[in-house]
Amino acid sequence: MVRDVAFGQYFPGKSIIHRLDPRAKIVMLIAYLVICFCTFNYVSLALTAAFTVFFILLSGIPVKFYFKSLKVIIFIVILTSLLNLFYGTGDPIWQWGILKITVNGINRAFFITIRIICLILSSSCLTFTTSPTELTDAIERLLRPLEKIHFPVHELAMMMSLALRFVPTLLEETDKIMQAQKARGADMDSGNFLKRVKALIPILIPLFVSAFRRAYDIAVAMECRCYRGGSGRTRMKSLHMGKTDVISLVVLALVVGGVILCNIFIPSVI
Amino acid sequence: MKFISLQNVVFSYSDPEDSQIIHNAVDGVSLEIEKGEFIALLGHNGCGKSTIAKHLNAMLLPDSGKVYVDGDDTSDISKTYDIREKVGLVLQNPDNQLVASIVEEDVAFGPENLGVEPSEIRKRVDFALKAVDMYDYKDNAPYKLSGGQKQRIAIAGILAMLPQCIVLDEPTAMLDPNGREEVMSTLLKLNKENKITIVLITHYMEEAVLADRVVVMDSGKILTQGTPRDVFSQVELLKKHRLDVPQATELAYKLNGCGLKFDKMPLNAEECVKMLEEVLE
Repeated sequence: MVRDVAFGQYFPGKSIIHRLDPRAKIVMLIAYLVICFCTFNYVSLALTAAFTVFFILLSGIPVKFYFKSLKVIIFIVILTSLLNLFYGTGDPIWQWGILKITVNGINRAFFITIRIICLILSSSCLTFTTSPTELTDAIERLLRPLEKIHFPVHELAMMMSLALRFVPTLLEETDKIMQAQKARGADMDSGNFLKRVKALIPILIPLFVSAFRRAYDIAVAMECRCYRGGSGRTRMKSLHMGKTDVISLVVLALVVGGVILCNIFIPSVI
Repeated sequence: MKFISLQNVVFSYSDPEDSQIIHNAVDGVSLEIEKGEFIALLGHNGCGKSTIAKHLNAMLLPDSGKVYVDGDDTSDISKTYDIREKVGLVLQNPDNQLVASIVEEDVAFGPENLGVEPSEIRKRVDFALKAVDMYDYKDNAPYKLSGGQKQRIAIAGILAMLPQCIVLDEPTAMLDPNGREEVMSTLLKLNKENKITIVLITHYMEEAVLADRVVVMDSGKILTQGTPRDVFSQVELLKKHRLDVPQATELAYKLNGCGLKFDKMPLNAEECVKMLEEVLE
């Protein structure tokens, strides 16, 4: 059950998206997310959605994994779109007590749904196609200017990459503990909300204990391999921007430009 | 001087429940290890063998006594990383020593820490992965591999630092029989072909018989040492300390008690069959 979580996984591959420089990918993701939330009419929304479909297909990763990543946030999508549905302005087309639905509200709900889906899909695309090491490398490089104000950039990047490395391991462990507790008669699937939360305690405590033990082990293993912080460290794969990175940045710039133009010339619907 | 030399090493820690009580994990151990040797270190849980392993690469420093690695005193802090480069330590749980999410990036972690040039790291990673026969898996995620494969990656990660000696702390304890065999044949190959000194800590007697020299520890002290045949011939001594001998040796020992006469003790099944034939004739 916990293994269904596809969000944050990496799938090795050789697609164009895989081969892009991770720094370019991060910058592009941020720009794309900003523009995603700056779509105010259907043309620009369609443009960003089409772009999402475009890079998902380009990534060469089976679409079912993207759907799996959406499953996790379905609750958030429904909640936010419901809230938006009832908070629209203008003349109500349906009213019941203080609840009213307006055209504006429907539009808002629709926009927020598409936006959140695009947000998840595009960040999934980043984590699916970029190994955690590349990702943290890129973050380390992008944040390097902050070292001047004594921000621990390397340490932060190392912590992130270790955390990502242990996601599948700890998920597997959670599964095992759950089964072990079920074998001892733990009931996790029935009862009210409070009962179910309480049922999680016998899973979380062993999980934490083992996580601490693992942390100690990994620290020893890292020291055995001469780890002593970021200074003097070299990298096997040094990052460099290539032609494809420039081209994809240009493509994204065109999409951004398109959305801005649409926003200028087509009236906003939300 | 020998490659690694432990001189009267004592290491103690205080009881986690009562800090007044001091346990001696290692109690006066002297041991010399030569270049190119394959040593098996045997003993019960808590006999101090893991503590010895951590002394060999300066993860722990002796309370008294000295440890020299290639002439350098491990308590000399300026030499710590030189020593760890020469003597790599592989731990029991393969999951907890892989730091990266991609096999080749994990193997590169050691040389990266040493500040090796990127092109040279590439060469070392390829060499190490080929040496443990995992080159085809270089782009895989470690969590998708079997235990034996993960442990071989961990060995490759140490190998990429080009050490002269690899110390392995029960590397096969969490593996299935297939994984154990994979790891053992890898170690034997590294010892024979790459002339790497191996110190293998284990409680599998079948693994220990493959070593050049067996060192048996009990409550922080060295009980006996010698070639596998010499050590496992002392069946009474090992039994007295509740240690096992290989099954073939055990059988010959019991048959000896029943009146059969074995001149020397067999170490594996084939030897046992051959000797049994001779004895019965």
